[in-house]
Amino acid sequence: MNAIEVRDLKKRFGHIEALRGMNFQVREGELYGLIGPDGAGKTTLMRIICTLVMPDAGEVRVKGLDVRQQRTKIRSLLGYMPQRFSLYPDLTVEQNLHFFAELFQVPEAERRARLEMLYHFSRLGPFKNRPAANLSGGMKQKLALSCALIHTPQVLVLDEPTFGVDPVSRQEFWEILHSVQKEGTTILVSTAYMDEADECDRVGLCFQGRIVAEDTPANLKRRFSYPLYRVRGSNLFRLQEFFRSIPTVHSIQMFGDVLHVSFTRQPRAADWQAWQTQTGGGLQEWKTEAPSIEDVFLEVLEEEK
Amino acid sequence: MQCIFYMIRKEFLQVFRDPHMIALLFVVPLVQLFLLAYTITTDVKHLTLGVVDYDRSVSSREVGRLFTNSDRFELVGYAESPRQVGDLMRAWQTQMALLIPAGFHRDLQRGLRPQLQIVVDGVDGNTAGVALGYAQQILTEYAQDIALQLQRLGTPPATHQLRLLERMWFNLDLDSKQFMVPGIVVVLLTIIPMMFASMGLVRERELGTLEQLMVTPLKRHQLLLGKIIPALILAYVEMILVMLVAVLSFGIKMNGSYLLLAFFSLLYLFTTIGLGIFISTWTQSQQQAMFFSWFVMVFMILMGGFFIPIENMPVLLRKLTYLNPMRYFMYILRDIFLKGSGLRYLWRDALILGLFGFSILGLGVAKFQKRVG
Repeated sequence: MNAIEVRDLKKRFGHIEALRGMNFQVREGELYGLIGPDGAGKTTLMRIICTLVMPDAGEVRVKGLDVRQQRTKIRSLLGYMPQRFSLYPDLTVEQNLHFFAELFQVPEAERRARLEMLYHFSRLGPFKNRPAANLSGGMKQKLALSCALIHTPQVLVLDEPTFGVDPVSRQEFWEILHSVQKEGTTILVSTAYMDEADECDRVGLCFQGRIVAEDTPANLKRRFSYPLYRVRGSNLFRLQEFFRSIPTVHSIQMFGDVLHVSFTRQPRAADWQAWQTQTGGGLQEWKTEAPSIEDVFLEVLEEEK
Repeated sequence: MQCIFYMIRKEFLQVFRDPHMIALLFVVPLVQLFLLAYTITTDVKHLTLGVVDYDRSVSSREVGRLFTNSDRFELVGYAESPRQVGDLMRAWQTQMALLIPAGFHRDLQRGLRPQLQIVVDGVDGNTAGVALGYAQQILTEYAQDIALQLQRLGTPPATHQLRLLERMWFNLDLDSKQFMVPGIVVVLLTIIPMMFASMGLVRERELGTLEQLMVTPLKRHQLLLGKIIPALILAYVEMILVMLVAVLSFGIKMNGSYLLLAFFSLLYLFTTIGLGIFISTWTQSQQQAMFFSWFVMVFMILMGGFFIPIENMPVLLRKLTYLNPMRYFMYILRDIFLKGSGLRYLWRDALILGLFGFSILGLGVAKFQKRVG
């Protein structure tokens, strides 16, 4: 049995079709990442899984339980961390944790052990008497995660948990997720940071209310069969124009201060030198590059269009 | 069941964590009580009086003295002419003028009926009316005294005297505080629960904690009870606080049953908390909820007979006040406080108030259930 099962899921809000027949499964104990641009339907999907929104059509099961009929049961075995920090800023770290432990009816004895463990995980122990409002962004996320984990859920759903958090805290956060996974918890996480996809067992690329590709990060990257180069130059925009005119170029993507250029045929060293002269030295550096999830994603989107 | 208790405890933790909230709950009502009890007064006291005395006799001085004997009038000075009085009135220095014609004393002694003129500043109609009433009362009594004196001296009275004995019931001294303070209790039981319920729920939505609560096993009705019960508790605490201060330091008399008071308050609190929940389903932010609550409250107060007597309203507006639950509670509370009325006299209002309470709370809850989904 899969931990999460989604079949032909459809949901519309007025004129907007948020989900148009979504299909995917999260296996027991898996860490599954949902990747996609804003408006792809990730949040709606998660809210349906958490029984906060009713689906229009299709079937969603969490641990075999139907989201339409068995909401209460699902809620007790599911942990959900919404996109926005949503705890009580005027209550302390400990009061927040206690409050959610109480609502989930975690037995007193178990609660203490669980708190100890979560404090250890999150390193929030020294801050337990601090009002949540006075925590840093990273600590807030860890507190929200701890609150979602307080009742030892079997399935954890996280909606862009690392959004707006500094890189160090993000790294820490993923480490915590890995240890949670080791406890046997199934995790569904969405993210807008493509580099985080590598942390997941499997990744689903979400676009316009559908999963357009799904596999392990390694397999996904292997799909990108075109030779890829990382290119630097004095004027990236002019360089981009230039490569558009080369017939063997398959795609050009701008990534910060570099271009990722892929080719339908492996270019030779002579080709590069010729291009350098043609651009009058504007082309400065080229190197082969292993495709990232982002390259794959953009490629898949091209195909979709 | 336990979950409700945890919700309630959380609410109180939040209330006591927030100094603004504490100020709002405990300081503001007391300030309100002091301010309103002293400022919204219909007592007319210390009216400024100017006297134009053309007679300059024992009797004319006696009349002047009678006016200044009570704390109702304050003599600001003697004027030489009516024109001077007009100037004083224009300068806001005197509200009433008493003109005593020459020969006043002489006519009085002869048993004739001398005339006095009273000029009142009519800008503030209410005060003018009351002042005139006071003046007539004083002069009537004086006339009767004179008549008695003359009778004793053997001169027959000019007319048969009809003596009017005035007696005020329920509020012997016409002390407006006795009337206003129950009104303040009503206002408090309107604003505090309504704001607490509406802003509390909207705040949970604004913070996103509402969603977080919805994924816990907490049921929607438990969530609502977790908001309603603290609002009730706070409202009762407020009421006790304000009444203690009112009784102890304002000398407000509570003639009725406290139990009845608590019972009627509960019915009314259902209404105001229900309104709060209703407002919360309409609004997106605490600011909006605050604005709506104020709007509803102002309407209720203006149409509730707190300081604008309903009897004085145009017919259409008077009919509209029947839709205002505060109107009934205002009557009931003043009845209980001042007249000590029992359920025998109040059951009709109780029925209406209960009807309002249950339907508004019911509607609010239904709307909330639908909205949260």
